[in-house]
Amino acid sequence: MKETVIVKNVFKKYKMHKKPSEKLLDIILPGGYGEDFYALQDISFTAQKGDVIGIIGVNGSGKSTLSNIIAGVIPPTSGSVKTTGQTSLIAISSGLNNQLSGRENIELKCLMLGFNKKQIRELEPKIIEFADIGKFIDQPVKKYSSGMKSRLGFAISVTVDPDILVIDEALSVGDKVFAEKSREKMEEFKEKGKTIFFVSHSLSQIKEFCEKALWLEYGEVRDYGEMERVLPEYKKFLKMYKSMSKEERKEFRENAIKKQGGVSPALKSK
Amino acid sequence: MKSMLTVIKEQISSFYLIIRLSLFEVKSSNNNNYLGMLWELINPMIQIGIYWFVFGYGIRGGEPVGGIPYIHWMLSGIAVWFFFNPAILEASKSIYTRINFIAKMNFPMSVIPTYVIFSKLYPHIVLTAIIAIILQFAGYTISIYYLQLFYFMFATIALLLAVSLITSTLATIVRDVQMIVQAVVRTLIYLSPLLWTPKHSEKLPEFVQLIMMVNPLYYIVEGYRSALLGTSWFMIENVQYTIYFWSLILVLFTIGSFLHLKFRNHFIDYL
Repeated sequence: MKETVIVKNVFKKYKMHKKPSEKLLDIILPGGYGEDFYALQDISFTAQKGDVIGIIGVNGSGKSTLSNIIAGVIPPTSGSVKTTGQTSLIAISSGLNNQLSGRENIELKCLMLGFNKKQIRELEPKIIEFADIGKFIDQPVKKYSSGMKSRLGFAISVTVDPDILVIDEALSVGDKVFAEKSREKMEEFKEKGKTIFFVSHSLSQIKEFCEKALWLEYGEVRDYGEMERVLPEYKKFLKMYKSMSKEERKEFRENAIKKQGGVSPALKSK
Repeated sequence: MKSMLTVIKEQISSFYLIIRLSLFEVKSSNNNNYLGMLWELINPMIQIGIYWFVFGYGIRGGEPVGGIPYIHWMLSGIAVWFFFNPAILEASKSIYTRINFIAKMNFPMSVIPTYVIFSKLYPHIVLTAIIAIILQFAGYTISIYYLQLFYFMFATIALLLAVSLITSTLATIVRDVQMIVQAVVRTLIYLSPLLWTPKHSEKLPEFVQLIMMVNPLYYIVEGYRSALLGTSWFMIENVQYTIYFWSLILVLFTIGSFLHLKFRNHFIDYL
């Protein structure tokens, strides 16, 4: 087994500001200014070749931040992320230019990913075939339905043949047929030994696609391991969370925010 | 110095990318209008008409500038303004408005201002050609001095690139910088010899002209003028001014590439 993604002690810190003047102070003062907010705290895990990992957790637990960091879209505040090979991120807002046509967007996206003229000419028909949006390919993207947009985005990201694929909620808008097609593509990727990260709130989708699960809670890793072991635990937690009274849930949230406001004491003593 | 080389290397290795992206830029900014890219020409034409009416006809009463009819004098200089003005405004906000489309940290980010500048270059070339044709009929026939045009076009791009590396970085961190750029650029139309010149004025002391020449746009506008009107080899006859211009570019470019490289990994955090 070869390790393709090694995440080590990753922190992501944001500063919270109440007024624009605080923002300015934050830039000017050497120590910074404002309340800290840790979106991710001390995240460490490794992924192997051929792993399909579902990232789960309630809202605000840092799933999207982590997937952005793995995909190399945003840098971590501290810690290191080592990836082998090309990474590709698929998110709902997949960064398509609304004014341009689908075909032009394909070229634009591929250029941004660093492909040259010849490679793009080879990729284009494959992407168009996979997206399967018919005549709309020459229409400006602003006229697309949200399903079409995500299909095009997905088609581009899978056809460029990445070694590591990060899918952030992108399959939730496609219909059954497209979901089936995407699943086939992901099976194919799995066989080729690529690493896939899958973020979704749909536990059935996660269960269907993934073998491993990474459970995030307040920006920390709560559990990481085989799907059969982690998922029941997570379900148990969700049940408990749902059954909480309003006050209890509020307390839980407040605890989370307090925890994310600074490095937790256990980590500090390390 | 090292950061300067990095930026230059990125520009050269991404040249194809710059050209393609700039063409998409032209396309996507004009897709909504029926006349499309024609507006890039209609708009300056209308403004040139008004400038002539107010400054040439209204204020000067049709009096020529140093022996050259006002309309010809203005036309020969103003083409570059319709390049410089939109290019610097758009390039300054280029990074924070486009970073979302660039979903990769290893993208050579210093080309973002460059391709935005290039997208404004194409209409500029067309506008310059149209003005050159008009000037043919006015008796300023094409001459060997036209070769200077390439040099001054390059100088304009260098100036735009050096300035926008600084402004695009600062504007991403503090948005107010964009407002400052807007305010400063708006004054430049009056501080460059576009609509009037301190040169042939007897009312102004000589040092006023000297101060105005600090503005690098002054150098470029006068250069375009001597090329299109075929009056002189501007950059050779004013060697000192040429040296000043390129030293300024070097300083700005050094500062710009240093700032850009220092902050570029964290641009996305400032959104």
